[in-house]
Amino acid sequence: MATYSSSENKLVLKIVYYGPALSGKTTNLMQLHSQLRPQRKGELMALETRDDRTLFFDMLPIGLRSEGGLDLRVKLYTVPGQVQHDSTRKAVLSRADGAIFVADSQLNQQDNNAFAFDNLAANLQKLGMDIEQLPLAVQFNKRDRQDAIEEHKLRARWSSTPWAPLTLASALNGQGVVESFRQLLGRLYPAVDAEFALARDHAIDSQAFIQNLSATGGPSNA
Amino acid sequence: MRNYEDDFALDDLLSPAHQARLLELLGKLSGASFALNAHDDGASRPLEFNLDTLGWLKAELPAEQHQAAVRLYELVLFYAGKYRLAANLHHDATEASYLELQQKHAAVQASEEKYKQLAQRLTQQVEEQVRVIKKAQQELYESARLRAVGQLAAGIAHEINTPIGFIGSNLRVANDYLDELEASLPDSHETAMLFEDFHALLDESSSGTKRIARIVSDLKTFSNIDQADFAACDINALITTACRLIQAEQNQVLPLSLRLGELPEVAGYPAKLSQAFYNVLDNATKSLEAGGQIRVASRVQDNALEVLIEDEGCGMPDDILARAFEPFFTTRDVGAGSGLGLSVTRDILVAHRGEVRMESRLGEGTCVTLRIPVN
Repeated sequence: MATYSSSENKLVLKIVYYGPALSGKTTNLMQLHSQLRPQRKGELMALETRDDRTLFFDMLPIGLRSEGGLDLRVKLYTVPGQVQHDSTRKAVLSRADGAIFVADSQLNQQDNNAFAFDNLAANLQKLGMDIEQLPLAVQFNKRDRQDAIEEHKLRARWSSTPWAPLTLASALNGQGVVESFRQLLGRLYPAVDAEFALARDHAIDSQAFIQNLSATGGPSNA
Repeated sequence: MRNYEDDFALDDLLSPAHQARLLELLGKLSGASFALNAHDDGASRPLEFNLDTLGWLKAELPAEQHQAAVRLYELVLFYAGKYRLAANLHHDATEASYLELQQKHAAVQASEEKYKQLAQRLTQQVEEQVRVIKKAQQELYESARLRAVGQLAAGIAHEINTPIGFIGSNLRVANDYLDELEASLPDSHETAMLFEDFHALLDESSSGTKRIARIVSDLKTFSNIDQADFAACDINALITTACRLIQAEQNQVLPLSLRLGELPEVAGYPAKLSQAFYNVLDNATKSLEAGGQIRVASRVQDNALEVLIEDEGCGMPDDILARAFEPFFTTRDVGAGSGLGLSVTRDILVAHRGEVRMESRLGEGTCVTLRIPVN
């Protein structure tokens, strides 16, 4: 749930990276942190890890300032993927405006993907949200692995869902991460625009929204 | 309550005491004095945390050192922020878990209560079923016993009927022959005595056979040998007839009062119902040795026809009352009653889906209620 503060003219959006354990959610965020050159970018905050596994969450704040002075922030969160951290996952997911589901392409991880996706749907429902309504992008990560499931199979499997087309990524190599993020921004914009009239009141259209938040290369204004 | 994803103010991250201590330490390190302002006054640099400016650090220092002090301060804020975010998340997650636990607990309690009630209901149903089975068993036992007795009685009645018929008939003829014999013999006192005695013997035997015939007839009714026709019965008319019959039998006017209500006709076996009323009336009559009244009433009560036959006779004690409906149970002298009256009465009422109830007090009288359901 986006929060808008009229006194500060500040709009804060929340995007959550969700998925099974070890699918590369934190890697996605780290890659975004190093690749993105949005107008404004904060520090990547990794909260409590044990053996390099996320215990609470990671958070990366980015933002842009419109010509009209709107202070638009996007906070990117990851959830802990391990099964036992479900209550933390639910707490992080609460009030999310959009989500990126990071699935593991390896053949032997398909059950975990399905379990995590069901878990996402269930937790959204518990939080009063509907997975069909939430802007959601699905990324199949680890395309570099030998035993990655074939692309045409994945696409066929997901073609009839509201989340097609999928994005494919190899987050460790920095590939597909920004594309997934952009796809989500594209799906997020209509919902945010409908509620906060970004185009009408703040002169931010879809293209500017995506471009300014996911610019790569070039000098950053941050 | 602040949510863990809210943006923090400086005081959320560092207590005022820690802020002062940090400034003091920075001052000691650099040799300059530091101040923290809420707004830019031209000589200050912004302290940033998560894209927010939380305050402005003022110091009389060269730009590079001033910048380093700001970065150091921001590093402290970064770690304080991490702690704060983690703590808030932990709090939220714990609270949500606790809430969920409470809901589950309530659900478990509700379900426990449901099962408790279910168990109670099941126990009740089992007890109910046990009662039904016990009753059915009892009835089965009784009906089997009655059937056996009935079959025996039917056999005996059949076997006795023919000889008792010709014995009775022969006795009458013998009596006639005796008259002829007496007329043909010379008159003497001894002969007259002898014939008188002979007549008495034959009369006594004759009345004995009549009594046997009556008992056989009772047995027949009891064992359902005669299938009277099923018809619409006017119960009041049957009662009236039975009362007339009993008075004729007793050869006297009985102290009998009738209070008959308006009754619907019921389908049944009129002859058998008459027999039932007669049997009860017969008992009532015989209880009146020390005087008293018999009251007969009829009415409709709780969807059933009720005939009440009440006497002010000798009554009976509880142990007799308990056995009164047993076949062949009688308190009268041998030969004075078959012990089948009430048993037959009950069978007749049961055949009409009805029942017989009897209350009695020794020395005060007996009340018999015959109920036949109406539909």
